[in-house]
Amino acid sequence: MKALRTLTAVLALGLCFVSAAFAAPKAITVASDATWPPMEFVDANKKIVGFDIDFMTAVAKEAGLQVTFKNTAWDGIFAGVEAGQYDAIISSVTITPERQAKYDFTNPYVQIGQILVVPKAEKGSKIADLKGKKVGAQIGTTGAMEVKKVAGVELKTYDEVGLAFEDMAAGRIAGVVCDEPTAITYALQKKEYSSKFKIVGKSFTKEAYGIVVKKGNKDLVAQLNKGIAAVQKKKIDAQLKKKWQLK
Amino acid sequence: MSTEAKKQIIDVGDGAAIPRKSDRGLFTAWRIAFFGAIGTIAYLVWSKPDPYLNIIKFVPDGIAVTFQVTLGAILLAIVIGLITGLGRISKNRFFNGVASLYVEVIRGIPLLVQIFYIYYALGTIVKVPAVLSAIIAMAVCYGAYMGEVVRAGIESIAKGQREAALSLGMNGRQTMIHVILPQAVKVILPPVGNEFIALLKDSSLVSIIAVADLLRRGREYASESFTYFETYTVIALIYLIITLFFSKIIGVMEERVSVNK
Repeated sequence: MKALRTLTAVLALGLCFVSAAFAAPKAITVASDATWPPMEFVDANKKIVGFDIDFMTAVAKEAGLQVTFKNTAWDGIFAGVEAGQYDAIISSVTITPERQAKYDFTNPYVQIGQILVVPKAEKGSKIADLKGKKVGAQIGTTGAMEVKKVAGVELKTYDEVGLAFEDMAAGRIAGVVCDEPTAITYALQKKEYSSKFKIVGKSFTKEAYGIVVKKGNKDLVAQLNKGIAAVQKKKIDAQLKKKWQLK
Repeated sequence: MSTEAKKQIIDVGDGAAIPRKSDRGLFTAWRIAFFGAIGTIAYLVWSKPDPYLNIIKFVPDGIAVTFQVTLGAILLAIVIGLITGLGRISKNRFFNGVASLYVEVIRGIPLLVQIFYIYYALGTIVKVPAVLSAIIAMAVCYGAYMGEVVRAGIESIAKGQREAALSLGMNGRQTMIHVILPQAVKVILPPVGNEFIALLKDSSLVSIIAVADLLRRGREYASESFTYFETYTVIALIYLIITLFFSKIIGVMEERVSVNK
């Protein structure tokens, strides 16, 4: 019994030291679903890279935060921030009223839109032209919600957007809807796909990405907003857009 | 062989089913679990229609797909299992070798990988619809396990049974069909029931290939409404109810064929 008490005391003391060591600068863990090039993806060295990652690193630097990234599946990424498994999400998350009701967002940092990718032979130029056919999107994304809005088109949801493109390459679905930068990567820049797919029309939604934090975590939002403002003022985001070939 | 003799052989061991101890009384474990799960869902829907009623309304077609995949895969797996099991005990070296190789390879690869592989790799050669390739993948995987169950069941039948049948003038095939297999079924049924339940739950893995099964419908609902906890509660309860329902059917079937225990 005595030994147990001693052990507890030692552990408690150790814990104090550890937490003291991390007190400044504040360390936060940020989740990202690294299957969404060029915004966030895993490179050949198994490192999470992309525009969002560089952007978040720059924001954290300006805001005086120490950031660790955590690769997390998109399905359940919001549940994780709610459960406190990480402090924030930067993963091409579009700010929508439904999401704002459940989570807090920073100020928008990138403007994008949804766009349709189809096989080269396809004549249609918008989702409504694909009536009676299947259109794929990643589960729980704004792309999936856009497809669902169109009557007569069957939505197929995938765990990762890459699987949807793979299914389209196999000829099982007639289109994929996703964010424009990702569509450009898959349709025009990926060797295996660039001869098979084309982007049709222009992006048909106006969306903005924001960093997500747990509802009520106003301190972190304020801190991140400060960082975003500093990054934008220093034009670091413009450089990053150029680096990752965003429009 | 006369039909009379045949009948006698088949009927060996048949008698009134004796209920198992666990099935006696009003509050059996099964009843508590089954009606408890149904009651819980009913209570949740009644007390909080939003989101629970909405979830219930959203998933029925997913339940249908889960049934479709499970039943299709189990029927196919039983056929594959029977062939594989007979192959594993066959004296024909080729047949035996193929069956053994199949079991060894399939047993060593995770089901998720198999589903993925059959859908995307085979998809480049023949275009199989997602639900069908899900059924094939599940059946190929569980057929291997089933094969081992069948083999063990057949091998459990005493050698004397076979010798007796042969000495009655039956040939090898008749011995297998009329003497060995009917007895083996009694041994095989409980583990097959087990495999069936496992297959039902593993069918949730097919959502990786965009098959809109119960789990995927739930995930679609959760990811749009952000009601993860509530949705997974309902999904878990529905899986539980379906599983208990099937375990009851298997239990009844077991009692029908069971020898006095």
